[in-house]
Order: sequence, then C-alpha cells, then structure tokens
Amino acid sequence: MRFWQLFLRNLKETYRDQLALGFLLAFPLLFMLVFGVALGANEAPSYRIAAVDDDASPISASFITEGLPQALTLEVELASSAADALASLKLGDIRAFVVIPPGFGEAVVAIRSGTPANLNLDLTYDESDLAVSGEIVQTVRAILGEFAAIESPITVNAHPVNTQAKITQIDFIAPGIIIFGLLIMIPTSARIMTRDKENGYLRRLLTTPTHPWEFILGYSLCLLLIAVIQIIFFLLIGWLFGMDILGNLALAFGVYVLAAIASIGLGMVVAALAKSQTQAEPLTWLFTMPLAIISGVWFSLGSMPSYIRAISQIFPYAHAVEATRAILLRGAGFTAVGSDLVFLVAWAVGAILLGIFMFGRTMRA
Amino acid sequence: MSDQAVRNLENSAAEAQRPGPACAVQTFNLTRAFGRLVAVDGISLSIKKGELFALLGPNGAGKTTVISLLCCLLKPTGGTAYVLGHDITKEPYEVKKLIGVSPQETTLSERLNPLENLELIARLHDLPKAKAHQWSCLLLETMGLSERARDQVRNFSGGMKRRLSLAMALIADPQILILDEPSLGLDPQARRAVWEYIEHLKGEKTILLTTHYMEEADYLSDRVGIIDQGRIVSLGSPSELKTRLLDTHTILVKGWNLTQNVIASLQQRYQGVKLEGNTLTVSDRHLDLHELIEQLRRDGASVRSAYFKESTLEDVFIKITGKELRA
Ligand SMILES: Nc1ncnc2c1ncn2[C@@H]1O[C@H](COP(=O)(O)OP(=O)(O)OP(=O)(O)O)[C@@H](O)[C@H]1O
Ligand SMILES: [Mg+2]
Repeated sequence: MRFWQLFLRNLKETYRDQLALGFLLAFPLLFMLVFGVALGANEAPSYRIAAVDDDASPISASFITEGLPQALTLEVELASSAADALASLKLGDIRAFVVIPPGFGEAVVAIRSGTPANLNLDLTYDESDLAVSGEIVQTVRAILGEFAAIESPITVNAHPVNTQAKITQIDFIAPGIIIFGLLIMIPTSARIMTRDKENGYLRRLLTTPTHPWEFILGYSLCLLLIAVIQIIFFLLIGWLFGMDILGNLALAFGVYVLAAIASIGLGMVVAALAKSQTQAEPLTWLFTMPLAIISGVWFSLGSMPSYIRAISQIFPYAHAVEATRAILLRGAGFTAVGSDLVFLVAWAVGAILLGIFMFGRTMRA
Repeated sequence: MSDQAVRNLENSAAEAQRPGPACAVQTFNLTRAFGRLVAVDGISLSIKKGELFALLGPNGAGKTTVISLLCCLLKPTGGTAYVLGHDITKEPYEVKKLIGVSPQETTLSERLNPLENLELIARLHDLPKAKAHQWSCLLLETMGLSERARDQVRNFSGGMKRRLSLAMALIADPQILILDEPSLGLDPQARRAVWEYIEHLKGEKTILLTTHYMEEADYLSDRVGIIDQGRIVSLGSPSELKTRLLDTHTILVKGWNLTQNVIASLQQRYQGVKLEGNTLTVSDRHLDLHELIEQLRRDGASVRSAYFKESTLEDVFIKITGKELRA
C-alpha cells in the first residue's frame, strides 16, 4: 500500500498549496464568470425572436406588430429574409424566428369569416435550446390562435436547427469551460511531478524500496481526484448559472474523466522530458492555451478555418467538447457520441501508457 | 594457456567477487562513467559491519556517485557492489530495504510537517502505522524538532531541515546508514551536535559517510578512504594514514628577532623553513625541539613559544593529491 501513502502525501502537498489549488479552480471560474454573468440567465426571461414576412399583407404585418408582441416573453424584430434570420439565430442574437408564408393573410380573413382554411406558420429555433424553444412554440401557437380567433386547425411547422455558434449562453460555455479546466491538468500534473523530480525528492524516495509503478499510481490517483473535484465543481457552477442539463450526466462525466486521464498522461510525458519546473511550466502553457482555443472551449469551431478544425480533431479535447455539449445540451445518447467516445478512450489509454512508460523510465537506475 | 588454467583463473576471479560475510558493503571494481567522464573509476573496497567509513574527497571526486550506485539510483557501467550480500545490480529492492539514506541535498516534502515526512519514509519502508508514528515522535525528540512537529517544513531553517533529513535516514532503523555530507550547511555548533549523534550510533550501525571536512573524517571515522578523480588514492584509519604518509614533522615557533640571518642559518640545516608574520615554520624528517631552540638562541632570536604541529588529514590529503581541499 505504498502507493496509498504516496497518494496521501501528494494530496496534502496539493491542498496545502492554496495558490496552486486556487489557480486550478479560479482560472476556469474566471472565464465562466465573465461569460456567465455577462451573458447568462435573465431573471424574467424574454426571448428575442425575428419575424419574416413573406406574405406582405396588412394582416401579416399586423400579426407581427400587434399580435406577437402581446406575449410579454417575446421581443419581436423584423427580418428581411429567412436567410438573414437564420444567420442571426446562429450568432445567438435571436432565439427563434417565424416565417409567415404567402397566403397567410387570406387564410386569416377566410377563417375570421367562417370559412375553414389552413393556417401555416414556420418556426425555426436552435435545437440545443429545447426548453426555451418549447416555450416559444407554445407562445406563438397561442397567439396565433387568438389572432385568428379560432382554436384549430393551426399548423406551426417547427424547424429545429443546429446552431453551434451561439456563444451567448452558459449552456454553451459550461461544458467547454470544464474541458478548459481539464486542459489545465496538463501543466498541473507536469508541475507536481517535475517539482519532485527536480528538487531531488523523488530520488530520495527512490532510496526506499518503492517501485516506479507505486509512484505513478500515487501521482495519478491524486491528479484524478483533483480532476473529478474540478468537474463536479464546474458542473455545479454551471448549474447555478442556469445551465440546462438535458442528457445523461453520467455519460458526460465519463467523457470528462477520459479527457482528464489524457491530460494526466500528457503531463507525465512533459514531466519525463523536462529537466526543471521552469522548463516544464512555459512548455505546457505554450501548447495548452492554443489547444484550448482550437478545441472550442470558449468559441465555436465553426468560425475557424478548416485546417485549424482539422488540427483540433487530432486532439481529444475538441471531441470531448463536442460530445459533452451534445450530451448535456441536446440529450445525445451513448450511440450518438460513440465515435467521439472511441477516440477519447484511445487517447486516454495511449497518453497514460506513454506517460507511464516515459516517466517510469526516468525513475529506473 | 590450457583450458584448465583458464578455468582456474575464472574461478579465482569469481571467488574474489563473492562478498565476505563480515562485510556490510563490498565493491568490486565499481565503475561509473558519464559519457567520457569516468566519475567512479574501478573502486574496490569493503566496509565491515559496524564500521564507520568516511569517503573523503574534493568537489567532483565522485563521492555522491559512489553513494548513488550503492543506493541503486544509478547502474554501474562496470563492476558491482554487494550490500549485506545483495548485488546492487540484481537485487536493488533488497538493497533498498537495508539502507537509510540522507542525500547531499536536503530534500523534503515541503508542505508536510516533520512528523508526516518521517512517517511517510517509515511507511515506504513497510513499517506498521503505529510503529511509524511512535518512532517518528522519538526521533523528532532526539533531533530537537518536537516543538515544530506540526509546522510545514518549508518554513524551517537550513539546519533544522538538515537534522530532519538525517532523521529520515534513520527512521526505518536501517542496518546501513548512508550519509552524503551530513554536516553540510550546519553552523559549528549544530555540526558538533550531528557529529556527537553519529558518534553515538557508531558500532550499532554500519555507517558510510562522505565529507570534505577533514576534521569530520578525523573525528568520526574508523577508516577513511581518500577519493580523488573517481579513485581511492589512500585507505586506512586516520592515524594510520598520518603516520604512513607523513614522514616530515613540523615545528611552529613564535618569537622576536627572526631576522634574515636567522632564517638563512636555519635553511642550511633544515629542509623547510618559512616565515609568515612572526610565526616560523620549520619542517624536516627529524626534528629536535631543543636543538632548534638552541640554534635560534645562538643566532640571536628570542623564542616566545615553540611546539610540534599536530599533523592532520589535510596534510595527508595535500601530500597525496597535491591539492588542497575546498571546504
Ligand atoms: N548525472 C550525471 N551526469 C553527468 N555527469 C555527472 C552526473 N553525476 C555526476 N557527474 C559528474 O561526476 C563527477 C563526480 O560527481 P559527484 O557528484 O560524485 O562528486 P562529489 O564527490 O559528490 O562532489 P561534491 O563534493 O561536490 O558533492 C563530477 O565531475 C560530475 O560532474
Ligand atoms: Mg557530492
């Protein structure tokens, strides 16, 4: 049980180092706060939606200017075309848009005069926004019923679209921030191990009958625990900021743990290569920060050049961001994220084995 | 050479490589090279059980490398060594169970307190929890660290850390104690205390220590191995080394009127005559205090004091290596 003693020692060293600990949690939290407070949950939710008037009749105009704004939860603006409205939706400026089809006015007139007619309306919203869009669909349907003065039949054609580009929501930010936290595990694990190697403490411990694998297990368990605490902490924070968790939390958690294991493995590789802490730290930051950016932890990958997206796909973090967003925001299941999952497992296993091999070798005589 | 002769030779070589039962540590042509630099160059020595053996040598002589080899932190590039019968190249974990090491650099787990530091080492040596705690408390007491037992060691002074480092070597009650420059960075008083503590362990444990303090080796050790450029250049007890290697004696004289004439006259009779300030140093194979004083009187000098200088290991060392030790 030597590894357990080493695990406890590493844990003590870490939690007594308030600065480093604070950094681990505070740094991602800072990003979360910036995005969360500035752009997060509103107390009395009101949703901006756009309306596209393809009918261009007096009736449709009055539906837009008088009908829709009756709902207190909707702020309505006019969009010139469906394409424009879609662009705004993708940018996150609006939450949904309605397209009023040609013939709308005539149908309303017919219905009001007692002649049955089909009343159609197209509603497009972000599919990751299930709760919100459900509310919008309900509201629009109710208003339309009132406006046309009938109960049915009303057809609101709902078009969920996948907009990855919405940066204005905690829902979108939180899963990525957790990955950012796990990316910081690379410098953290490198630092913890390099420090012991550099100041000779590891050499001292190596004069006891402790095997290399016991050291590695002692470090890994400690780092994994830190990562798990980080994941839980940020999920909680996200939840406090109003992140909607739709999917399987355990599955998302599994994805995070895989990303954490990959980070710990990479940290070990760095610790094996670095001669000193002053060498290891900048080295890891040098690739951690760009990796965070291209993995889409803050911003959507959609706006990046395709070659950068291709590079980001080599590393596990972009996959982890996509998978957890799909799981948490869109309720994607095991099969839907299967390929990401396979990729992550391969990375986690590969990185940790490489780390064990390389760091283990530095401990051998 | 006939097959038989070759076989005999091989046998005797194998015989020589077998560790003797009375030996705690035995090295056979132990060699370690770093690239082209040979840090340890074919060292063969044996340390008896219960002996205190000091490796004495200047910076870069290879002392720490010898120790790293014996602790199985480095693999020898040639030869081998046995620690209580265990080959360092084949049974490193057996060797590590038997030794307690205090490295040259005082490295501790900085955010643990001394108690935790000691207990960790004890537990890594498979001591049960209760025993580890008990022994740790006792050792802290001995080392005068009990009062600070619950403070993080990163706030300790260098001397306190050094004492804790020594305690960490002792905590598992090892049969062989390996101390790399145990008194490094200690003030004279603390150094004395450490010496006394090591002295009190003498006989009980086999101790191998390195130092570049002559007095330390002189004061503590049963046997000294003087190491220079990776080789043992001289081996024996401190007094043996002095009598064997120092064939000249030195008399120090203090007085007045030590004029050029006086010195010139002395130089005709004695090998080495030197005047520094008002101290005259006279050395030769055979010296007689009376004769010397007589001659000084005759030449008109007045002598205030004259005495034989106690020879030190330092003299031995300078004699052997032609360089002075840097302390
Ligand atoms: N890991 C290493 N790689 C390359 N050279 C090394 C290594 N370790 C030691 N050396 C070299 O081996 C020689 C002996 O070093 P060692 O540390 O054993 O000396 P030492 O006698 O302990 O000196 P000091 O009194 O300064 O502690 C030195 O020239 C040193 O530069
Ligand atoms: Mg040394």
